[in-house]
Amino acid sequence: MDFPENLPSDIGRLEQIVSHFFPKALHIVLNSRIPSLQSRGRTRERLSGLNVRKSDKWFNLVMGDRPAALEKLHSWHRNILDSMIIDIILVHPISNDNLDDDDDHSDSVVRSAETVIERWVVQYENPLIMSPQSSDSATRYQKVYKKSIILLRSLYAQTRLLPAYRVSRQLSSSLASSGYDLIYKVSSFSDIFSGPVTETMKEFRFAPVEVPPGRLCASVTYRSDLSDFNLGAHITLPPRIITDYVGSPATDPMRFFPSPGRSVEGHSFTGRAGRPPLTGSSAERPHSWTSGFHRPPAQFATPNQSFSPAQSHQLSPGLHDFHWSRTDAFGDNHQLSPPFSPSGSPSTPRYISGGNSPRINVRPGTAPVTIPSSATLNRYVSSNFSEPGRNPLPPFSPKSTRRSPSSQDSLPGIALYRSSRSGESPSGLMNQYPTQKVMLLTSYVSCSMQEKYHYIFKYDSGRFSGVLSSSDSPRFAFSRSPSRLSSQDDLDDPDCSCPFDFDDVDESGLQYSHSLDRRKTSSSISQSLPLGRRSSQDAAVGVLVHMLKTAPPLRQDSSTYMASMSGVQREGSVSGTESEFSMARSTSDALEELRNYKQLKDLLLSKSKSGSGPTRVH
Amino acid sequence: MMKQAYEKVSPNPPKTIGEKKGESVSCKFQQGRSEEILEKSENSLTREVESFEIREVLRCILHTIVFHRALGLIRPKDIDLELFEITYVQCGEIEVEKKIDEKIEQFINWIEKHPNKKSQICLSFYEVKSKQPSWFTKIERLYWEQWYINLNVLQPTKPPVGKSHHSKLVMDPGEASEERSSRRTLLEQSLQEVLFQIIKFVNEKKDHVPPINDGVIYYPFEITIPSSSDSAFGMDMFKRILHSGHPSMLG
Repeated sequence: MDFPENLPSDIGRLEQIVSHFFPKALHIVLNSRIPSLQSRGRTRERLSGLNVRKSDKWFNLVMGDRPAALEKLHSWHRNILDSMIIDIILVHPISNDNLDDDDDHSDSVVRSAETVIERWVVQYENPLIMSPQSSDSATRYQKVYKKSIILLRSLYAQTRLLPAYRVSRQLSSSLASSGYDLIYKVSSFSDIFSGPVTETMKEFRFAPVEVPPGRLCASVTYRSDLSDFNLGAHITLPPRIITDYVGSPATDPMRFFPSPGRSVEGHSFTGRAGRPPLTGSSAERPHSWTSGFHRPPAQFATPNQSFSPAQSHQLSPGLHDFHWSRTDAFGDNHQLSPPFSPSGSPSTPRYISGGNSPRINVRPGTAPVTIPSSATLNRYVSSNFSEPGRNPLPPFSPKSTRRSPSSQDSLPGIALYRSSRSGESPSGLMNQYPTQKVMLLTSYVSCSMQEKYHYIFKYDSGRFSGVLSSSDSPRFAFSRSPSRLSSQDDLDDPDCSCPFDFDDVDESGLQYSHSLDRRKTSSSISQSLPLGRRSSQDAAVGVLVHMLKTAPPLRQDSSTYMASMSGVQREGSVSGTESEFSMARSTSDALEELRNYKQLKDLLLSKSKSGSGPTRVH
Repeated sequence: MMKQAYEKVSPNPPKTIGEKKGESVSCKFQQGRSEEILEKSENSLTREVESFEIREVLRCILHTIVFHRALGLIRPKDIDLELFEITYVQCGEIEVEKKIDEKIEQFINWIEKHPNKKSQICLSFYEVKSKQPSWFTKIERLYWEQWYINLNVLQPTKPPVGKSHHSKLVMDPGEASEERSSRRTLLEQSLQEVLFQIIKFVNEKKDHVPPINDGVIYYPFEITIPSSSDSAFGMDMFKRILHSGHPSMLG
């Protein structure tokens, strides 16, 4: 056994045990009760070292260095026969109700009272008559020492279980002075508790340790209930940082998505992920857009009607304003497959009729795209614009472009290309989409980007090798309507001056996708006017476009369409002439258009055969 | 064999010194062998204790017992319970903490596999005594103190929503907040009373505690949890008692 000091006599060692027991018990009690004497934080750090003071090794309980006050007390308590009574006193403010009527008492003076909340009594009871010891002295002090260790362990654990420990912790951690304090008083004798006080206090007696000739006894009398002092209401604790509060990004990641930026001017379809649209319409909910894709544009509250909730739904949450004008006009009964794949960057949506046509992606390049105003708006190219619900395709604009002969026999295809006013040639895009199917592409113009998208309707695997590249101005497009194509009379109309001129369409009442340079293309239109006389496919396409454009029914339909479109357009949309078309179209309309184009193809073929020379149509 | 052991110590059958029932703790003393049986409150039959509560409760009880039996040079460590306003003391030895945590985890796993079953955890302190036969050495364990902790963990009737070990609340949507707080308060009171009882018991009988060896921080102990089958639990204990030999009277 690790006995700190070896004394010659057994009695001396036993006496030493007792003499060291008192300060150790005092240290344990005061360390757990008096905030100023607490060395909890320091103790663990200091105890981590290997060098422990010999005085601290007593009873194998390393407590840390004793405060100076305890050393004085230890020196004061020299007679082991004297009891050591430790009173833990709570200093607390007194409410005014408890005070006697005192006129001199001012409100600013806070009177406090002291209440003993614990009393620890440690004493060595020395019997008058010594009992004979059976065990030898060699092992006696070891056993006594062992039992005194256990007793002090119990004392240590008990100090943590009593209510005063919590008070001490609160006071030691409180920030500001709360008027409460814990003080102690050590004496050899103490006042007896009054009757009412005894009733509120409990007593716990530790089993005594036989230390010949006497025994060590320890007991504690404590207040079991300290709620009368209202400690919790007056003690301010240091603030705690709560990291997992409700609504934090850690617990609610959905709230982290930024709110839509430039929404198309308030349109709710701005790609908000997880947030309900402004208007609250079910059609505007991203998740309901699979069915609401075809909702009539009237639901949209903003003038910019070219919004596709589907597209916004499929876009990444960071996208905000993605506008698409066409898809809304495609009727109510059309279950459109999302025309666009989710991508990180905003891409113009494109609608593909027929269902299995490859899609063409047009990247506007910048995130927010808005429907341009009337000044800068170009017409969209879509098919079947004669009726909003059934003919979403815009009328075919017979603007001529040079086309390869191979496409002469085919309807002029409408390829999607991107142009800018800087004159960037979109020809690079033209040859990218050979297809056997009819594709309907709609376009919109980004006013902010100063770019215009032209959808060129491509029919029946025509390859646009030179449809647009031949034009000096790449900014052209045309739109056509299959319903118009079916009219043979339209093709004979030579009045069309520009094949793919949306402006012409506007002027003539046709609905076209946006054009950029009407005048430039008008010349080419005139060149391609005689359909039967041109050998190149471009000329044939140009002629066809012209015919479609100038066809009387086309104009009427287009005018009708314009009226209907204006009716369905959003408020504040492009007034009158140039307006975007945002119509959804159904699969049936697409098929009908396909049939119409086939008819037109047959017509062209027949005419080409009867013309100068057959041109190969791919 | 148990009888023989008792006869060695005392010719009389085990005498119940004190018994206290009906309260939160039921204790039984048996002479010759300090056997304390701690039972959770009898109201625990209707009380639902979540797994994270079990961990806290068991950790508190086991560490408090071991703290009183770790008589070597230690640096006490105060631990505040998260669920209750109770602070208990650990002996500060990492091996002890690790051993107790492992056993508690095993117990919790057993509880999850055997819901709504009474279970018992036994904390036994023993002495290693090696016999010296002629041709082989047999290590014998002499159990000089055993603590039985009886628990009746009931699984919540409704599946908890979002049951998480990090939560401090019982994730039972069907339980009203008032019921939960009252149950928690009762559990806290029971736990505090159990700790008082432990302190009382460890001091009442100290003669059987073996002497403190130099360099030994704590007496070797083992924690026995119910095995996979309930019937094996009692058999394990019986086998251990058979092998433990006779308890020696020390001091």
